Amino acid sequence: MENLEIKGSRDVYFIPSVDFNVENGICVLGGESYLEETVKFYMPLYEWLKKYTSEVKRPVEFNFKLTYFNTSSSRCILDILNILKDFEENGGDVKVNWYYDSEDTDMEEEVEDYMIESELKINLIPT
Amino acid sequence: MSEEKFSLYNYHKTFDKDILISFKGPFDKHILSIIGNYIEVILGRNPKAGKKIFKIFIELAQNIAYYSAEGITNVNSDAGIGTLVIGEFDNHYSFVAGNVVKASDIVHIIEKSEIINSLDREGLRQYKREQRNMPQGEKGSAHIGLIQVALTAASPLDIEVTPINEEYSFFTISVNVEK
Repeated sequence: MENLEIKGSRDVYFIPSVDFNVENGICVLGGESYLEETVKFYMPLYEWLKKYTSEVKRPVEFNFKLTYFNTSSSRCILDILNILKDFEENGGDVKVNWYYDSEDTDMEEEVEDYMIESELKINLIPT
Repeated sequence: MSEEKFSLYNYHKTFDKDILISFKGPFDKHILSIIGNYIEVILGRNPKAGKKIFKIFIELAQNIAYYSAEGITNVNSDAGIGTLVIGEFDNHYSFVAGNVVKASDIVHIIEKSEIINSLDREGLRQYKREQRNMPQGEKGSAHIGLIQVALTAASPLDIEVTPINEEYSFFTISVNVEK
Protein backbone atom coordinates (compact mmCIF):
# COMPACT_ATOMS: atom_id res chain seq x y z
CA MET A 1 0.00 0.00 0.00
CA GLU A 2 1.21 3.48 -0.85
CA ASN A 3 0.98 6.94 0.63
CA LEU A 4 -1.95 9.05 -0.49
CA GLU A 5 -1.02 12.58 -1.42
CA ILE A 6 -3.21 15.20 -3.04
CA LYS A 7 -2.00 18.74 -3.49
CA GLY A 8 -4.52 21.28 -2.26
CA SER A 9 -5.59 24.04 -4.60
CA ARG A 10 -7.95 26.92 -4.76
CA ASP A 11 -9.53 27.67 -8.07
CA VAL A 12 -13.19 27.51 -9.09
CA TYR A 13 -13.48 24.81 -6.42
CA PHE A 14 -11.33 24.35 -3.32
CA ILE A 15 -9.45 21.07 -3.15
CA PRO A 16 -8.16 20.17 0.31
CA SER A 17 -4.61 18.92 0.77
CA VAL A 18 -4.28 15.25 1.65
CA ASP A 19 -1.18 13.58 3.07
CA PHE A 20 -1.76 10.03 4.37
CA ASN A 21 1.46 8.24 5.31
CA VAL A 22 1.66 4.44 5.45
CA GLU A 23 5.02 4.32 7.26
CA ASN A 24 4.12 6.35 10.34
CA GLY A 25 0.31 6.35 10.18
CA ILE A 26 0.18 10.15 10.26
CA CYS A 27 -2.62 11.55 8.12
CA VAL A 28 -3.27 15.19 7.39
CA LEU A 29 -6.36 16.70 5.78
CA GLY A 30 -5.96 20.44 5.46
CA GLY A 31 -6.89 23.58 3.61
CA GLU A 32 -10.37 24.16 2.26
CA SER A 33 -12.96 21.69 1.01
CA TYR A 34 -15.56 22.80 -1.50
CA LEU A 35 -15.74 20.44 -4.43
CA GLU A 36 -17.64 19.78 -7.61
CA GLU A 37 -18.12 16.09 -6.82
CA THR A 38 -17.57 15.79 -3.11
CA VAL A 39 -18.19 12.08 -2.60
CA LYS A 40 -16.08 11.17 -5.62
CA PHE A 41 -13.17 13.13 -4.14
CA TYR A 42 -13.44 11.57 -0.69
CA MET A 43 -13.93 7.98 -1.88
CA PRO A 44 -10.16 7.24 -2.28
CA LEU A 45 -9.59 8.68 1.21
CA TYR A 46 -12.13 6.25 2.70
CA GLU A 47 -10.59 3.38 0.73
CA TRP A 48 -7.08 4.23 1.92
CA LEU A 49 -8.19 4.43 5.56
CA LYS A 50 -10.19 1.21 5.35
CA LYS A 51 -7.24 -0.61 3.82
CA TYR A 52 -4.78 0.81 6.35
CA THR A 53 -7.01 0.00 9.32
CA SER A 54 -7.76 -3.54 8.12
CA GLU A 55 -4.36 -4.56 6.73
CA VAL A 56 -1.59 -2.42 8.23
CA LYS A 57 -3.39 -1.93 11.55
CA ARG A 58 -0.66 0.27 13.04
CA PRO A 59 -1.57 3.35 15.10
CA VAL A 60 -3.20 6.23 13.22
CA GLU A 61 -2.75 9.89 14.03
CA PHE A 62 -5.24 11.91 12.04
CA ASN A 63 -4.68 15.66 11.90
CA PHE A 64 -7.43 17.91 10.60
CA LYS A 65 -6.18 21.31 9.50
CA LEU A 66 -9.22 22.44 7.56
CA THR A 67 -10.07 26.12 7.65
CA TYR A 68 -13.25 25.86 5.59
CA PHE A 69 -15.56 23.13 4.35
CA ASN A 70 -19.05 23.29 2.91
CA THR A 71 -21.90 21.13 4.18
CA SER A 72 -21.41 18.44 1.51
CA SER A 73 -17.82 18.06 2.67
CA SER A 74 -18.91 18.04 6.31
CA ARG A 75 -20.79 14.82 5.67
CA CYS A 76 -17.68 13.20 4.17
CA ILE A 77 -15.57 14.30 7.13
CA LEU A 78 -18.03 12.51 9.39
CA ASP A 79 -17.56 9.38 7.30
CA ILE A 80 -13.79 9.59 7.87
CA LEU A 81 -14.34 9.90 11.62
CA ASN A 82 -16.67 6.90 11.55
CA ILE A 83 -14.01 4.79 9.84
CA LEU A 84 -11.52 5.80 12.54
CA LYS A 85 -14.07 5.02 15.25
CA ASP A 86 -14.63 1.53 13.79
CA PHE A 87 -10.87 0.96 13.89
CA GLU A 88 -10.73 2.07 17.52
CA GLU A 89 -13.61 -0.22 18.46
CA ASN A 90 -11.74 -3.11 16.88
CA GLY A 91 -8.70 -2.48 19.03
CA GLY A 92 -6.90 0.04 16.81
CA ASP A 93 -4.86 2.89 18.24
CA VAL A 94 -6.39 6.18 17.06
CA LYS A 95 -5.48 9.74 17.86
CA VAL A 96 -7.39 12.61 16.26
CA ASN A 97 -6.22 16.22 16.42
CA TRP A 98 -8.10 19.18 15.02
CA TYR A 99 -6.10 22.38 14.52
CA TYR A 100 -8.17 25.54 14.32
CA ASP A 101 -7.94 29.30 14.56
CA SER A 102 -8.61 30.08 18.23
CA GLU A 103 -10.99 32.89 17.22
CA ASP A 104 -13.09 30.61 15.04
CA THR A 105 -15.80 29.62 17.53
CA ASP A 106 -17.94 28.17 14.74
CA MET A 107 -15.18 25.65 14.01
CA GLU A 108 -14.91 24.79 17.70
CA GLU A 109 -18.63 24.00 17.79
CA GLU A 110 -18.32 22.02 14.60
CA VAL A 111 -15.65 19.80 16.15
CA GLU A 112 -17.71 19.35 19.33
CA ASP A 113 -20.58 18.17 17.14
CA TYR A 114 -18.28 15.73 15.37
CA MET A 115 -17.22 14.33 18.73
CA ILE A 116 -20.84 13.75 19.73
CA GLU A 117 -21.72 12.23 16.36
CA SER A 118 -18.72 9.95 15.97
CA GLU A 119 -18.22 9.22 19.69
CA LEU A 120 -14.54 9.71 19.00
CA LYS A 121 -12.27 11.87 21.15
CA ILE A 122 -10.91 14.77 19.13
CA ASN A 123 -8.18 16.99 20.55
CA LEU A 124 -9.02 20.60 19.76
CA ILE A 125 -5.76 22.43 19.22
CA PRO A 126 -6.02 26.22 18.89
CA THR A 127 -3.39 27.82 16.66
CA MET B 1 -39.47 39.70 -20.37
CA SER B 2 -42.79 41.47 -20.92
CA GLU B 3 -43.44 43.64 -23.97
CA GLU B 4 -43.00 46.75 -21.88
CA LYS B 5 -39.53 48.14 -22.49
CA PHE B 6 -37.10 47.08 -19.80
CA SER B 7 -35.85 50.05 -17.80
CA LEU B 8 -32.40 49.54 -16.43
CA TYR B 9 -32.85 52.75 -14.47
CA ASN B 10 -35.91 51.35 -12.67
CA TYR B 11 -33.92 48.23 -11.89
CA HIS B 12 -30.95 50.28 -10.72
CA LYS B 13 -32.92 52.55 -8.42
CA THR B 14 -34.66 49.57 -6.79
CA PHE B 15 -31.46 49.10 -4.81
CA ASP B 16 -30.26 51.59 -2.28
CA LYS B 17 -26.69 52.64 -1.77
CA ASP B 18 -26.06 49.97 0.87
CA ILE B 19 -25.94 47.20 -1.70
CA LEU B 20 -22.60 45.43 -1.97
CA ILE B 21 -23.56 42.90 -4.62
CA SER B 22 -26.61 42.14 -6.66
CA PHE B 23 -26.76 39.39 -9.21
CA LYS B 24 -29.44 37.71 -11.23
CA GLY B 25 -28.61 34.90 -13.57
CA PRO B 26 -27.35 31.34 -13.76
CA PHE B 27 -25.53 30.27 -10.60
CA ASP B 28 -22.86 28.35 -12.40
CA LYS B 29 -19.55 27.40 -10.81
CA HIS B 30 -17.66 30.29 -12.40
CA ILE B 31 -20.11 32.89 -11.13
CA LEU B 32 -19.97 31.31 -7.66
CA SER B 33 -16.20 31.49 -7.77
CA ILE B 34 -16.14 35.14 -8.84
CA ILE B 35 -18.72 36.30 -6.27
CA GLY B 36 -17.06 34.17 -3.58
CA ASN B 37 -13.70 35.79 -4.30
CA TYR B 38 -15.27 39.22 -4.33
CA ILE B 39 -16.91 38.62 -0.94
CA GLU B 40 -13.55 37.59 0.50
CA VAL B 41 -11.83 40.66 -0.88
CA ILE B 42 -14.38 43.29 0.13
CA LEU B 43 -15.08 41.76 3.51
CA GLY B 44 -11.40 41.22 4.23
CA ARG B 45 -11.55 44.21 6.55
CA ASN B 46 -13.91 42.23 8.77
CA PRO B 47 -12.60 38.65 8.53
CA LYS B 48 -15.02 37.12 11.02
CA ALA B 49 -18.19 38.43 9.35
CA GLY B 50 -16.56 37.96 5.96
CA LYS B 51 -16.03 34.27 6.59
CA LYS B 52 -19.63 33.89 7.73
CA ILE B 53 -20.94 35.70 4.65
CA PHE B 54 -18.79 33.49 2.46
CA LYS B 55 -20.07 30.30 4.12
CA ILE B 56 -23.69 31.42 3.83
CA PHE B 57 -23.12 32.46 0.23
CA ILE B 58 -21.80 29.04 -0.79
CA GLU B 59 -24.69 27.14 0.82
CA LEU B 60 -27.44 29.37 -0.58
CA ALA B 61 -25.80 29.70 -3.99
CA GLN B 62 -25.43 25.92 -4.27
CA ASN B 63 -29.10 25.54 -3.32
CA ILE B 64 -30.01 27.83 -6.20
CA ALA B 65 -27.57 26.14 -8.58
CA TYR B 66 -28.95 22.67 -7.85
CA TYR B 67 -32.59 23.23 -7.02
CA SER B 68 -33.87 26.27 -8.87
CA ALA B 69 -36.74 25.29 -11.16
CA GLU B 70 -35.31 27.71 -13.72
CA GLY B 71 -32.13 26.75 -15.47
CA ILE B 72 -30.05 27.18 -18.56
CA THR B 73 -29.81 23.62 -19.72
CA ASN B 74 -27.58 24.15 -22.72
CA VAL B 75 -24.82 25.85 -20.74
CA ASN B 76 -24.46 23.83 -17.59
CA SER B 77 -26.81 21.40 -15.94
CA ASP B 78 -25.94 22.68 -12.47
CA ALA B 79 -26.67 26.31 -13.14
CA GLY B 80 -30.08 27.10 -11.77
CA ILE B 81 -31.16 30.69 -12.14
CA GLY B 82 -31.68 32.85 -9.11
CA THR B 83 -31.19 36.27 -7.59
CA LEU B 84 -28.85 37.32 -4.83
CA VAL B 85 -28.45 40.63 -3.03
CA ILE B 86 -25.94 41.35 -0.29
CA GLY B 87 -26.25 44.62 1.59
CA GLU B 88 -24.19 46.34 4.24
CA PHE B 89 -25.74 48.34 7.04
CA ASP B 90 -24.37 50.02 10.16
CA ASN B 91 -24.45 46.96 12.36
CA HIS B 92 -25.05 44.05 10.06
CA TYR B 93 -24.81 42.55 6.60
CA SER B 94 -28.02 41.41 4.94
CA PHE B 95 -28.22 38.48 2.63
CA VAL B 96 -31.20 37.83 0.35
CA ALA B 97 -31.39 34.94 -2.11
CA GLY B 98 -34.29 33.72 -4.18
CA ASN B 99 -35.29 31.38 -6.95
CA VAL B 100 -38.26 29.74 -8.58
CA VAL B 101 -39.33 26.45 -7.04
CA LYS B 102 -42.02 23.95 -7.92
CA ALA B 103 -45.10 24.48 -5.79
CA SER B 104 -44.93 20.80 -4.83
CA ASP B 105 -41.50 21.31 -3.23
CA ILE B 106 -42.34 24.43 -1.29
CA VAL B 107 -44.15 22.72 1.61
CA HIS B 108 -41.05 20.77 2.49
CA ILE B 109 -38.83 23.86 2.41
CA ILE B 110 -41.23 25.86 4.58
CA GLU B 111 -41.56 23.02 7.09
CA LYS B 112 -37.82 22.74 7.37
CA SER B 113 -37.40 26.48 7.80
CA GLU B 114 -40.06 26.54 10.52
CA ILE B 115 -38.29 23.78 12.41
CA ILE B 116 -35.01 25.68 12.11
CA ASN B 117 -36.55 28.91 13.42
CA SER B 118 -38.23 27.13 16.33
CA LEU B 119 -34.95 25.79 17.70
CA ASP B 120 -32.35 27.45 19.90
CA ARG B 121 -28.66 27.03 19.08
CA GLU B 122 -28.27 23.74 20.96
CA GLY B 123 -31.43 22.41 19.33
CA LEU B 124 -30.18 23.46 15.92
CA ARG B 125 -26.88 21.68 16.47
CA GLN B 126 -28.72 18.52 17.44
CA TYR B 127 -31.00 18.81 14.41
CA LYS B 128 -27.95 19.23 12.19
CA ARG B 129 -26.32 16.12 13.66
CA GLU B 130 -29.50 14.10 13.09
CA GLN B 131 -29.86 15.30 9.51
CA ARG B 132 -26.18 14.73 8.76
CA ASN B 133 -26.63 11.10 9.75
CA MET B 134 -29.36 10.58 7.19
CA PRO B 135 -28.47 8.95 3.85
CA GLN B 136 -26.74 11.24 1.38
CA GLY B 137 -29.14 13.35 -0.67
CA GLU B 138 -29.06 14.15 -4.35
CA LYS B 139 -25.82 15.60 -5.69
CA GLY B 140 -24.04 15.05 -2.41
CA SER B 141 -26.37 17.31 -0.49
CA ALA B 142 -26.16 16.68 3.21
CA HIS B 143 -29.63 18.08 3.97
CA ILE B 144 -28.03 20.57 6.29
CA GLY B 145 -27.41 23.63 4.13
CA LEU B 146 -30.21 25.73 5.62
CA ILE B 147 -29.45 24.57 9.16
CA GLN B 148 -25.83 25.58 8.64
CA VAL B 149 -26.92 28.98 7.30
CA ALA B 150 -28.95 29.61 10.47
CA LEU B 151 -26.07 28.46 12.68
CA THR B 152 -23.50 30.53 10.82
CA ALA B 153 -25.65 33.66 10.80
CA ALA B 154 -26.72 33.09 14.42
CA SER B 155 -30.06 34.62 13.46
CA PRO B 156 -33.41 33.28 12.22
CA LEU B 157 -34.18 32.67 8.56
CA ASP B 158 -36.76 34.99 7.05
CA ILE B 159 -38.67 32.99 4.45
CA GLU B 160 -41.10 34.39 1.92
CA VAL B 161 -43.02 32.52 -0.74
CA THR B 162 -44.63 34.38 -3.62
CA PRO B 163 -46.93 32.22 -5.75
CA ILE B 164 -46.29 32.72 -9.47
CA ASN B 165 -48.93 30.33 -10.82
CA GLU B 166 -50.36 26.93 -9.92
CA GLU B 167 -47.14 25.17 -10.70
CA TYR B 168 -44.43 27.51 -9.44
CA SER B 169 -43.61 29.87 -6.59
CA PHE B 170 -40.76 32.25 -5.92
CA PHE B 171 -38.86 31.37 -2.77
CA THR B 172 -36.94 34.09 -0.93
CA ILE B 173 -34.67 33.58 2.03
CA SER B 174 -33.21 36.52 3.97
CA VAL B 175 -30.73 36.35 6.77
CA ASN B 176 -28.65 38.93 8.62
CA VAL B 177 -25.13 38.61 9.94
CA GLU B 178 -23.97 40.92 12.68
CA LYS B 179 -20.80 42.87 12.07
